[in-house]
Amino acid sequence: MQEYDYSDITPLPIQTGLQDELCQIMYTDEYKQLMGLARAMLSANELSPRALQLTSRIIDVAPAFYTMWNYRFNIIRHNVAGCDDAVSYLNKELDWLDEVTLNNPKNYQIWSYRQSLLKLHPSPSFKRELPVLKLMIDDDSKNYHVWSYRKWCCLFFSDFQHELAYTNDLIDADIYNNSAWTHRMFYWTNAKRVASEVELADELQFVLDKIQLVPQNISSWTYLRGFQELAHDAGQWNDKLVQFATSFIGNVFSLPVNSPQDLPEIESSYALEFLAHRWSVDSSTRENAIRAYNLLATKYDPIRKNLWQHKLKNLN
Amino acid sequence: MCQVANDLRKVVSNKHEKFFERHLQLLPSSHQGHDVNRMAIIFYSMVGLSVFDVDVPAKYKDHLGWMHKHYIKKTLDDVDNTEISGFVGSLVMDVPNAITINLANTLFALLSSIMLKDYEFFETILDKESLLRFVSRCQLPNRGSFVSCLDYKTNFASPVDSDDLRFCYIAVAILYICGCRSKEDFDRYIDTEKLLEYVLEQRCRSGAFGTHNEPHAGYTSCALSTLALLSSLEMLSDEFKEDTITWLVHRQVSNHGCMKLEDNSNATYDQSDDGGFQGRENKFADTCYAFWCLNSLQLLTDNWQKLCQIELTENYLLNRAQKTLTGGFSKNDEEDADLYHSCLGSAALALIEGKFNGELCIPQKIFNDFCKRCHF
Repeated sequence: MQEYDYSDITPLPIQTGLQDELCQIMYTDEYKQLMGLARAMLSANELSPRALQLTSRIIDVAPAFYTMWNYRFNIIRHNVAGCDDAVSYLNKELDWLDEVTLNNPKNYQIWSYRQSLLKLHPSPSFKRELPVLKLMIDDDSKNYHVWSYRKWCCLFFSDFQHELAYTNDLIDADIYNNSAWTHRMFYWTNAKRVASEVELADELQFVLDKIQLVPQNISSWTYLRGFQELAHDAGQWNDKLVQFATSFIGNVFSLPVNSPQDLPEIESSYALEFLAHRWSVDSSTRENAIRAYNLLATKYDPIRKNLWQHKLKNLN
Repeated sequence: MCQVANDLRKVVSNKHEKFFERHLQLLPSSHQGHDVNRMAIIFYSMVGLSVFDVDVPAKYKDHLGWMHKHYIKKTLDDVDNTEISGFVGSLVMDVPNAITINLANTLFALLSSIMLKDYEFFETILDKESLLRFVSRCQLPNRGSFVSCLDYKTNFASPVDSDDLRFCYIAVAILYICGCRSKEDFDRYIDTEKLLEYVLEQRCRSGAFGTHNEPHAGYTSCALSTLALLSSLEMLSDEFKEDTITWLVHRQVSNHGCMKLEDNSNATYDQSDDGGFQGRENKFADTCYAFWCLNSLQLLTDNWQKLCQIELTENYLLNRAQKTLTGGFSKNDEEDADLYHSCLGSAALALIEGKFNGELCIPQKIFNDFCKRCHF
C-alpha cells in the first residue's frame, strides 16, 4: 500500500479523560492519532487519495463509524468524475470492499455502501458480486444482510438466472435453511410472474420431495403453503395435498381419543397443522380440524397448546 | 423485580447491577470499535440498571453535563439558515463543518436522559423543532422509509446508509418522545402516510414483517412498535394479525412432541433451548428474541401471556442465558454475557412482569413520570 505524507495536517485531537465521562475507553495511541487526523481531514473535506487511504484505516479500527463510509464515498465520487478509467477505479474500490466485507461479516453498512458503488458504476456486473456473496453465505448460510443484498442485486440487475440452482444447492446442503427457502419463494414471486403449468407442477413436486425427505421441517411446509397461494391454486391440488399430509400422521385419526400416552408417535406436527388449517376453512371438515388441533395441543406440539386452544375457540 | 422469578430465588439482581455498572466505567481499548455508538452502551446499561431498581438519577447525576455535550445543534449553510439538532454517539464524532448526528444515538440519548430524570435537558436545552427537522430530513421522500444519518456536507439523507424498519421505528419513537400523538402531530414533521405504506410493504406472506418476505422477529417488533406509536395497528387486517400471532408463537423453541424429532438432523436445533425464542424459523433460541417476540405479541393481543408458555421463557432466561457468577445474560448458552443481550434479557423479564414499556424499551413507570412532568 502506498504511504502518504500527512505531516502538513494539523490534527483535531479527540478529547480524553473528561471528568464526568461515562464508558471512558482506554484509547490506544494509534487510535488517537488516526482519529485526530481523520477528524481534521473530514472537517476540511479533503477529497484526495491520501484521504481515501486514511478512511480505510479508520474503517479498519472502527467499521461502525458511518460518517467515514459517507466521507469515503464522497472521495470516490469526486475522483471518479475526473478519472479516465472509471470502471477500473470503481472495480478497485469493490476489491477493497470485498476484503473489508470478509473481515466484518456482521457490519451492515458494507452492503448499502456496496449498493451505492454499483449505482455509481458505469457497467456494474452481478457476476462480479457472486464470489463474495458465495463466500459470505458459505460462512453464515442465514446471514440476513447478505441475503437481502443478493435480492437487491437480482432486482437491480433484473437477473434471476442463477437463483433457482443456487437455492437447490443450499437446500441440498441444509434442508432446514429457511433463508434459502424464502429466497426460492422470492425467485417465483419476482422472476416468474407467469409460470407455466408444467413449471408449477415441477416446483410442487420439488417441495413435496423435500418434505418426504424430512417431514418435520417448518421451512418446507411454510413454502408449500406459500407456493400454493402463489400459484393461485383454486383447489385442484387440495385433495392431493391433504392425502400427502395425511401420510405423515399415521393412524391417529382412527384411534379413540384417550390419554396422550396412548397416542402413537407421528412423523410431523407440521403435517398435522397443515391439515388442521386446511380443514378449518370448510364447515364440512370442521370436526376433523377440531380433532387435529386437540391432537397438537395434547401430544404433538404441546408447548403451543394455548395457541391451539385459541384456534379451536376461533372455530366456534 | 420479577416476582415469579424472585420466588424461585434465581435472579441474581446484585450481580446484574454490577455488570451494568461496569459498562459505564472505564472500558478497555478493545471497545474502541464501539466508541462511535457509546450512547448505545449507556442506554443498554441504564435500561438494565432501571429494571433492577437502581436509582439511576442519583447515581449518575454528575454526568449530565457530559451527556449534554453530545447534543449538537448546527445552522445549515442554506438560504433559510435552517437549524438542525441531534445527538452524536461519541464526542469523537463532534467534527467542525460536518453533520454527524445520528437517529439511533439520538433515541438512545433521549431515553437515557429520561432514565436519568434529566428533565432540565428536555425543558431548557433540547430544541424540539430543530431536532424534529433532523428526523424529517432522514426520511426518503420517494420510499417513505428512513436512513439513520445525513450526508455530512449536503445535509440530505446519506447516500451510503441503508433504510429499513429499524430506522423507521427509531424516527417515530423520537417524535413520540417529543410529544407527537395524533396523526396531525406526526404529519407536521414527516410524511406519515408514505411511512405507513413502506411499513405495510414489509409484511410477509406467512405473517410477521421482514425484507422481501423473509420474516424476522426484530423487524416485526420494529414494525409493530412503529404502528403502535402511530396509533395505526388497526391498519392490519384481522387475518394478518392472526397469522403474525401464529408466526410469533411458533418462534418459541420446544423439545416436546414432534419438535424433538429435529434433534439429530437439524444443525440449528438444540433441545436445551426449550422455552426460549428464536428470531427466524430453524434458528437457535436467542435471549434478545424473547424480548422482540414478546413485545410483538403484547402489541397484537391482550391475551399474549396466555398464548405462549411464559414460564418456560423465564426458565430459559434464568437457567440458560443468565450468568450467575458474573451477572448479565448471554445470547444463548455462550460462556460470557454481553451488554446487548443482558439489556434485552432483563427487559424481557420486566415485560413479562408487566412493568415495561416495550414500544419504547424502558420501564413503564419511568416513562409515566416523564410524561407527567414534561409537556411539549
